[in-house]
Amino acid sequence: MEQTTQNSLFETILNEHKGIFFKIAKTYCKNEDDRKDLLQEMMIQVWQSLPRYKSDFKLSTWLYRVVLNVAISYYRKQVIRQNHHQIIDFSIQDFVDTPISESNPNLELLETFISELNDLDKALIVLYLEDKNHGEISEILGISVSNVSTKVLRIKEKLKQKFSKQQ
Amino acid sequence: MDDIEFKQMWASLNEKQETTLKVNQKIIENASGLRVKSLLNSMKPTKLFLIIIGILWVLFLDTVIINTFGEVSAFFTISAIIQVLLTKLSIGIYLYQIIMIQQVDISQPITVAQEKLLNLKSSTLWVARILWLQLPVWSTFYLHPALFTTENLLWLIFQAIATFSLLYLSIWLFININFKNKEKKWFKWLFDNNEWNPVIKSMELIDDLKEFKN
Repeated sequence: MEQTTQNSLFETILNEHKGIFFKIAKTYCKNEDDRKDLLQEMMIQVWQSLPRYKSDFKLSTWLYRVVLNVAISYYRKQVIRQNHHQIIDFSIQDFVDTPISESNPNLELLETFISELNDLDKALIVLYLEDKNHGEISEILGISVSNVSTKVLRIKEKLKQKFSKQQ
Repeated sequence: MDDIEFKQMWASLNEKQETTLKVNQKIIENASGLRVKSLLNSMKPTKLFLIIIGILWVLFLDTVIINTFGEVSAFFTISAIIQVLLTKLSIGIYLYQIIMIQQVDISQPITVAQEKLLNLKSSTLWVARILWLQLPVWSTFYLHPALFTTENLLWLIFQAIATFSLLYLSIWLFININFKNKEKKWFKWLFDNNEWNPVIKSMELIDDLKEFKN
């Protein structure tokens, strides 16, 4: 892949799919400083993986794979924190979210319940909430469609139970 | 709370954040520099330091072995050769794993990429298993044929007990340092530190991954 193509694809990703970065980082990282580092690492990994991207593949599916893989591997956060602070010179405050949840207690609850799931279940439920169909979720996660259906059902039940206990 | 409500709540997060997020052009301008920088900085300074020390130690021992070959006790030469070979093997495995981890294609499906990453990470435990194998040679390098006389019988008995104990311990550790023993006290004592925690965590995640795939 040529440098200019890589740059323009990277720009497209950041402009059109920045929400993916934000939501995945928010789901996997509650701590704001860690989240900034995770966002940086996601961008680095997306950039590095771009030469392997094939245009016949759906860009958002490819992006979910990369970004989720980085987020799940984030237990190596100490390495990331120590090294990447000075790599990208960008204003991280651009990625600091406003306190959205304050205006919606149910959303805050939903985020809390999701944060209690294990890393793989988190990925599954986020993709489901992002309105991805089971086929696409299966493609991103690498499990069968029937497995996706079973797991989505199970996690949704778990979330509903938690909500009903709170109300 | 039904499915639609869940999705609507999630979508509200999306709508609000779209208006608050701005991408700084500098990210894109600096992007071309990321490849080298990230790769070079991906290793902790302590790990890098340990690898350098390991390589220097191996070079030092190689020089000593070559320059003293035939002039010193065979016990020293053989002990040093065993030590240097095991150290080289450990450094080699460690570097190979680091390179392989860097090369895992993370645009693969999550379960595929994570399985590769976790297996590579957890196999770092092999480095510890191999390094412990060199334990007995620390009790043999100073031996000399002249020491093996009947006057030194008591000392020889102590020496034999020490060497065979270390041999037993090193083989025992080589066999028992594995994930199945992660809850044992001795295992936690050996590996409960910042350097090894990510490896242990990787092993735990392998179980989660297996369960997730079924």
